Amino acid sequence: MPLVTFAARRRAFLVLLGLPAVLFVLLVALGPLLEGLRWSLYDHNLLRPQRTTFVGLDNYARFLADPSALRALANTFLFTLLAVGLEMALGLALALALWADRPFERVALIVMLVPVMLTPLAVGLVFKALLSAEFGLIGHWGRVLGVVGERGFFGDPRAAFASIVAIDVWQWTPFVVLILRAGLAAIPGELLEAADADGASSWQRLRLVVLPLLLPALLLALLLRTMDAFRLFESVFVTTKGGPGDATNVLQLYAVKQGLEFFNIGYAAAIANVTLACIAVLAVLFVLVLRRADRRMTGR
Amino acid sequence: MSRFLPRLVVTVALGLFLAPVLWLFTTGYKPARDVLGYPPTLLFRPTLDNFRTLGAYFDLAQLTLTSLTIAGGATVLALLLGVPAGYALARARSRLAMGVAYLFLAIRMVPPVATLIPFYVLMRDLGLLGTPAAVILVHGMLSTTFVTWLMFGFFRALPPTLEEAARVDGCTPLGAFLRIALPLAGPGLVAAALLAFMLSWNDFLFASFLTSARNRTLSVALLSAYGTREVTWGTMGALAHVATLPVVAVALLLNRFFVQGLTRGIH
Repeated sequence: MPLVTFAARRRAFLVLLGLPAVLFVLLVALGPLLEGLRWSLYDHNLLRPQRTTFVGLDNYARFLADPSALRALANTFLFTLLAVGLEMALGLALALALWADRPFERVALIVMLVPVMLTPLAVGLVFKALLSAEFGLIGHWGRVLGVVGERGFFGDPRAAFASIVAIDVWQWTPFVVLILRAGLAAIPGELLEAADADGASSWQRLRLVVLPLLLPALLLALLLRTMDAFRLFESVFVTTKGGPGDATNVLQLYAVKQGLEFFNIGYAAAIANVTLACIAVLAVLFVLVLRRADRRMTGR
Repeated sequence: MSRFLPRLVVTVALGLFLAPVLWLFTTGYKPARDVLGYPPTLLFRPTLDNFRTLGAYFDLAQLTLTSLTIAGGATVLALLLGVPAGYALARARSRLAMGVAYLFLAIRMVPPVATLIPFYVLMRDLGLLGTPAAVILVHGMLSTTFVTWLMFGFFRALPPTLEEAARVDGCTPLGAFLRIALPLAGPGLVAAALLAFMLSWNDFLFASFLTSARNRTLSVALLSAYGTREVTWGTMGALAHVATLPVVAVALLLNRFFVQGLTRGIH
């Protein structure tokens, strides 16, 4: 009997420790999320709150018929694909270059993290200035040397989109390096020595030994960067505001514009929920891939 | 393999990663006519004019105080709630605990606007819009989910035998948590506090839409330093010395914890 009460008391203690956090998160996170779900079914504008009406799924239908919204959706996916792809490729190359555990590499890895420590807003502003067509160092010389047209980086749809991708790659490649470098450090040295003893070329060693063992770290970096790239906001907000036209419009930016500039709460909630649904689908896909990779690693 | 090529690659990359940061801070010492000089150059005669303009147009004391209040408040809130929760999840080992852990992880993946817009309406109805409290609540929530995961990982790595031994010696469950487990998870606490503080200090989206002009944070002020007519990039560079330099310096000093927090709090 005393054993049972001991276990029960212990469980009660742990519940007591965990409960405040759970209640707080449910209140501040889940509460607004459910409110958002409800608002997306209403035509609700903060500038004329008395005319709020229930419209069912009209806001979602409006999304599907709104060229700006569809462009934002397509741009968000394209941005995520390009930015994360480049970050993974460059991150892997740099992590391999930083593999040795000597003072130079250790210091370089830490200093390289400075972009990660900066607020994304400051990063956006720095590049807005540097890429400015008239007074920016990169913008001016890019124009003079013919890398970009007369309207500068942010005046041309393609160049503007490429700039947004480049800014993200600049800030977040070091983060990928950090995760992959941690993965590399965990690879047992004997395996690499065995590969060398078997006369493997460095390419074979990379492809057959290093990359398979690095797979969990690669997937983790891919997951984290994808989730984050999909909710891009700051750098677009300060540089192009989605322009020129809708060339750099992305989902989060469009939702903020609709909700907090035009105060179309209903429609903005619908846009936010579409973003949420896309992220949820991506997350589930990732978990499935991770599980399969896990099963293959542990021998089916 | 020779060490030369990898080091060359790393050195070039470091240059590319650091040059824009150095540009940001050096712009703070650039005379106004050089900032908008044509064609743009790298060379200039340094001046402190921008820091004087900054003092004239911005209430630095208010900005710093608000940023500290919000980031400090959110960090304390997240630690008070997240650290015990992480311990409970690590020691409970039940299905319910794993359910809670994954719920927190899922909430961390929610795009900020999905909470921001309804939260904005909610705060408006409650009369809290424009106050630091609104921002502390949101940042505190975001950091609580993160701190819980981070501490979950740290406490799970501690063998429970130490706490069990303390219990046998007559320690209460709370005593075992506070006096045995908590000190052993010290590095985790530093990492959690550092990252929670940085999340809040560096945030722009919530801080800009939930605060009023009287309660702006330093990050939000950076945008107005860039924009208005009298003040220009030079002022932004000067303001960056207050808004970003201290945090980057602390993160570099505590790099061990920063890196641990980033690599351990995520899976």
